[in-house]
Amino acid sequence: MEFIDIVLSISDGVLFGTTYALIGIGFTMIFGVMHKINLAYAATSIGGAYVSWAISTLVPLPAILVFLISAIAAGVIGWLVYLCCFRLVPLDTPLTTLLATVGMLIFIDEVVVHETDGMPQPYPAIFDDVFFEFGEFGLRGDLLFIFVLSFAAMLVLLYLLYRTRLGIATRAVAQQPMAAQLCGISIERTNASTFVITGMLGGLAGAMIGASVGVLSPLLTLPVTVKGLIVTVIGGLGSIPGAIIAGLMVGAFENLFLALRGVTERDMYVMLLLFLFLTFRPGGLFHRSALRD
Amino acid sequence: MKRSWIIAPAVVAAAMLGVATSSVAAERTVKIAGFGAKSGVVRSFGVNTEAVMRAAADHINKGGGVKLGDGATGKIEVTFDDDRCNAEEGISVLRRIAGTDAVVAVGPTCSNVAEPLFGILQKKVGDAGDSGVQMPIFTDTAIKGGLAKISDWAFRNVPNESEMYQKLFAWIKAEHGELKTVYGGVEEDFAHSRFTWHKVMKVRAPEAGFEVVGESKWLLNDTNFATQVREMKKAKADIVAISAHPFTTCGVLKEMQRQRVKPKLLVGLTSSSSLETLQGCAKQAEGIIIPTSFAPVTPAAKVAADLSAEKGGSADLHSAAAWEIMMVLKGVIETSGVTAKPDTVQDDRRKIRDGLAALKETEGLLGTIQRTAEGEAIKPYVYVHAKGGSWAVLHDPGS
Repeated sequence: MEFIDIVLSISDGVLFGTTYALIGIGFTMIFGVMHKINLAYAATSIGGAYVSWAISTLVPLPAILVFLISAIAAGVIGWLVYLCCFRLVPLDTPLTTLLATVGMLIFIDEVVVHETDGMPQPYPAIFDDVFFEFGEFGLRGDLLFIFVLSFAAMLVLLYLLYRTRLGIATRAVAQQPMAAQLCGISIERTNASTFVITGMLGGLAGAMIGASVGVLSPLLTLPVTVKGLIVTVIGGLGSIPGAIIAGLMVGAFENLFLALRGVTERDMYVMLLLFLFLTFRPGGLFHRSALRD
Repeated sequence: MKRSWIIAPAVVAAAMLGVATSSVAAERTVKIAGFGAKSGVVRSFGVNTEAVMRAAADHINKGGGVKLGDGATGKIEVTFDDDRCNAEEGISVLRRIAGTDAVVAVGPTCSNVAEPLFGILQKKVGDAGDSGVQMPIFTDTAIKGGLAKISDWAFRNVPNESEMYQKLFAWIKAEHGELKTVYGGVEEDFAHSRFTWHKVMKVRAPEAGFEVVGESKWLLNDTNFATQVREMKKAKADIVAISAHPFTTCGVLKEMQRQRVKPKLLVGLTSSSSLETLQGCAKQAEGIIIPTSFAPVTPAAKVAADLSAEKGGSADLHSAAAWEIMMVLKGVIETSGVTAKPDTVQDDRRKIRDGLAALKETEGLLGTIQRTAEGEAIKPYVYVHAKGGSWAVLHDPGS
């Protein structure tokens, strides 16, 4: 293994890691606002991508429009997930929502499987034939595009959160739900809008993942869920900057371990990284101090 | 006189009832229980197998059904259960089938189901000390090498990959003498693809005179193949052999296109010679050569493909094997004296098992299939290549 191979693996991982970051942001935002984990989030993301694929088979569309449809569709699915798994179930038992979202994950996955017979479906990409070469160093054009688009989506999200009334309401509900309610903020509406916004972000991530592989498959749901949760824990539950950095980190580490130790050991080391964080820095990357007894 | 007029309709009615009863008695139902994966990412395998089995049953029934041992006629009825490609569910499905009046089971889809499933069957037929399930199973899809020897009740109609790739690499050597090196790509966590690379392709290629210059591994649900393809690019092999299922095969082929990895020849896994690969990446798969035991090149194969399509399935190398199985079962049922009565179910199962074990050869869709003493098949095959978005026969080694 030469040094350039390691650099290339890490750069690929960082670029692809932006999709993990988007998924991580979704998990972390929902947790931040509702203090609950939505395990159906990655399924929502991939579900959105499937809806956009289905529409693109009916009407030929440019790739960028397909990605946009994916974001919108996932936003709608996200709202439905909120209704079914959070709004209409009792919230006082934490396990209820957790299990409801597990059920929803399986449900969305099975709908996709039944509609496509589990067959991989081609998904459009942008700049997938572009490959930048600088001597031995090379970068995939489509991954660069994914990196730029994902970062643009993150900036829009940060703008929404910190520069709009909706963002103020969201942060208020996340920090002090009772006080927010006393100020006239509707918790239910804020929760629902969080699911729609994170759903849209996830839909974009789902589309980017599909575009980077070039193929959509129900096989994507589980690994994306696992990676999203790892990113959320490493980044710190509720921390958006943490999720962004953790997403890039997980992408880089994953590829580094793949290059150094092979595919059969790769996930073992990523899990080890997760355990290290859980043990020594349970509050995540940007938490001021470890929250251990 | 008056009295006889009253009796006459009753006699006619009784006679008609008798005719109806005897016709019901003469025409029985022979139940064949299919099972396989109809959930998850391998759902298409189960969907296709079920469609092909139902198409074959209709074909047989329209042709008069099957002649039973006591002279009656039997119509074939197919049921199909989903085992979700999961060993525990597969075993549970088989136990449930064993509790019905099905005389034979056809399945499963996945090798990781077939292996433990065959393990719960009675190992040696007639062994009173072995309480294993006594149900003949005829497998159409689970392809991992050498599984039928696990039990005397297990039979398979799957291609012999070892021979297929041995002949394929030898043919490539003969046709393209300038090609010297092979690089492998393997989906490491799937029993079939792993077995086929490590135990078949990697062994058979050097035997044909090729040098294996390296291998890249990935997992079934991987999404990023950049590192593996970079390794592949560095090896500069003449031939890239990919032992993976359609989802990752397409992922890798697309990554190869991005990184401009252009081997002189591509070889694929038998299971990838399906619609899925073309649906996922027809452009990138162009030219890939795959040995397969099914192609609609004979009249019988065309009929099977057309009738299966009418049932909503696609006949490929796996599902078409189910058509052949149904035709073999028809023959065995007719020659072994199966009566398909409710009280002869276990006897019928034994007769079918014995009938299958006695077969030396059967007629397949591409020609004669040899049967081994271990319950395996040696099937005729062709080499297909992806051409313009469909599979075209490149070479028939049997011709």
